[in-house]
Amino acid sequence: MEEPHTANNSDHPKFALPVDSEHKATEFRVYSVAAPHMRAFHLSWISFFSCFVSTFAAPPLLPIIRDNLNLTSTDIGNAGIAAVSGAVFARIAMGTACDLFGPRLASASLILITTPAVYCSAIANSSISFLLVRFFTGFSLATFVSTQFWMSSMFSAKVVGTANGVAGGWGNLGGGATQLIMPLVFSLIRDIGAVRFTAWRIAFFIPALFQTLSAYAVFFLGQDMPDGNFSQLQKSGDKHKDKFTQAGIIAASFGLANIFSRPGGGIISDIVAKRFGMRGRIWTLWTVQTLGGVFCILLGRVGSLSVSIVVLLVFSLFVQAACGLTFGIVPFVSQRSLGIISGMTGGGGNVGAVLTQVIFFRGSRYSTETGITLMGIMIICCTLPMLLIYFPQWGGMFCGPSSKGTTEEDYYMSEWNSTEKEKGFHQSSLKFSDNSKSERGRRVDSAPTPSNGTPLSHA
Amino acid sequence: MAAHRFMVASLLLCCFLHSCYGVTFSSLQRTLVVTASPTPGQVVKAGEDQITVTWSFNQTFPGTDSAYKTIKVMLCYAPISQVDRAWRNTVDNLAKDKTCQFQIVAKPYSPSNNSFTWTIEKDIPQATYFVRSYAYNSDSSEAAYGQTTDAHKTTNLFEVQAITGRHVSLDIASVCFSAFSVLSLFVFFLVEKRKTKMSQQK
Repeated sequence: MEEPHTANNSDHPKFALPVDSEHKATEFRVYSVAAPHMRAFHLSWISFFSCFVSTFAAPPLLPIIRDNLNLTSTDIGNAGIAAVSGAVFARIAMGTACDLFGPRLASASLILITTPAVYCSAIANSSISFLLVRFFTGFSLATFVSTQFWMSSMFSAKVVGTANGVAGGWGNLGGGATQLIMPLVFSLIRDIGAVRFTAWRIAFFIPALFQTLSAYAVFFLGQDMPDGNFSQLQKSGDKHKDKFTQAGIIAASFGLANIFSRPGGGIISDIVAKRFGMRGRIWTLWTVQTLGGVFCILLGRVGSLSVSIVVLLVFSLFVQAACGLTFGIVPFVSQRSLGIISGMTGGGGNVGAVLTQVIFFRGSRYSTETGITLMGIMIICCTLPMLLIYFPQWGGMFCGPSSKGTTEEDYYMSEWNSTEKEKGFHQSSLKFSDNSKSERGRRVDSAPTPSNGTPLSHA
Repeated sequence: MAAHRFMVASLLLCCFLHSCYGVTFSSLQRTLVVTASPTPGQVVKAGEDQITVTWSFNQTFPGTDSAYKTIKVMLCYAPISQVDRAWRNTVDNLAKDKTCQFQIVAKPYSPSNNSFTWTIEKDIPQATYFVRSYAYNSDSSEAAYGQTTDAHKTTNLFEVQAITGRHVSLDIASVCFSAFSVLSLFVFFLVEKRKTKMSQQK
């Protein structure tokens, strides 16, 4: 099949990485910090990592906090749910904010707005104040949306799965890293001479400061798009302001396995797409996520500790890889509403987390093992709708592309009406349509011609 | 010879299992008399106040105290402070019991004239407590106990008022850093607006 048309100077002298016609990087070089692509990547995963560290800083110190604040198991459970449910609303707003203001401003603002909650964790004095600080700190998890949005803006179709997967995975790592960092910081402070009930409070300044610094870094060193920031591009006419009122994203998995498994999912998504295109991405996601559900069911049934640990690791690998695979598909659903779609996908995940906890893991209705098994069944059932995903230009799991010969351009252009097209709002989607032809996979038949014969123009 | 080895092995295994499974509280005799200075319902301050505990062997008890080698006096949670807090649960197997988490004193055993004055440590949590002492035999396993409260742990309880752990300097630091973060956000917006205006004018 013919390669998607890249810009004449594909190694654009302005960029350190090879780019496509939208100036999105076509390669993902993790060791590079070159502006704007790889710098954006490192800024986004590090700031997302810091938010995870802050949000999950309380659990490892709970034995001390629960004695200091006289918490009951119910208080602790409620605070845990609050920590992740705040993000549901925040992520909905974040998708819109990214569409309107760009990921750089949106994420730097959110991170800075939530740092007071982390600083004030040090002065919590009751179960209610504890719940409130965890709730508001959890809002920072909305940086997931800006991370995925930013990566989707900086990296082309070929590597977007990898970029999203690595950024998401390494960010989620913060939830695991904090389990090691916070106890260490706490012991250091206590050994210096602070009483336990004061040491944990001082310890919270560390994630808070880290979060503040990462917000500054994002603001000063980051850039929304390969060609510049939203505000500059909007004023010069390259980027058009959109009016939307929704979005939501969620994702909150944890575990150190995230360092490999989630990026692995994204990488696999891109590898499979080279050969099988979008259909391959969907099939792989369905398979991996269903297997995750199977291992979850197994986890609830095994008896011995060592087998449980192994099953848990395998389960988390599959689940996290499925997250990476999911965001290999999300960037292609819509170009106009990338933020909202990313937001809702991420948000849907968190809703699942809240629902699962509320149905299976609160109170004593189900034993933990039964709850886990039932959760596995729920995973498999919730993965079934994937069988119905259908892109007219590429097909779905069981169907090929539409026999009407719908092309990528038809699909992405259908998001804009004729008035908007007259004003030229659709230009970036046009370029994306061309670049996304790689999602057809390697096919013997020649690509159909665009239905209205609009020639591709280069800005 | 093999039979002899087998017996030794099974004896060792039994001892091992015994110490693994631990002594149960219900198997202990209440042979010690323990008193503590706080009056019922009194509130004592952590880090400041002191309590005096005394313990002695109950002479009216029919058995003997010859097996007791050491005594440990512990501060224990009353049932009201254990509600909805699984990390303070009372379990019969003493190896797993979490009722008594703070040691007041450990001493070699003597049947009478025992007393100890203890300053309540700073990190004792806010809760309702009683005092219990365990007598240990030579294998360091519990042989007997005594406590200041009744069998249902409802009488003669006292409260410890904990420190908050907060300091004025911490409060000020938290508020200042928070305010600074929000302020810097507004500065960023202004800087951004100015940058956009400048690039527009160019």
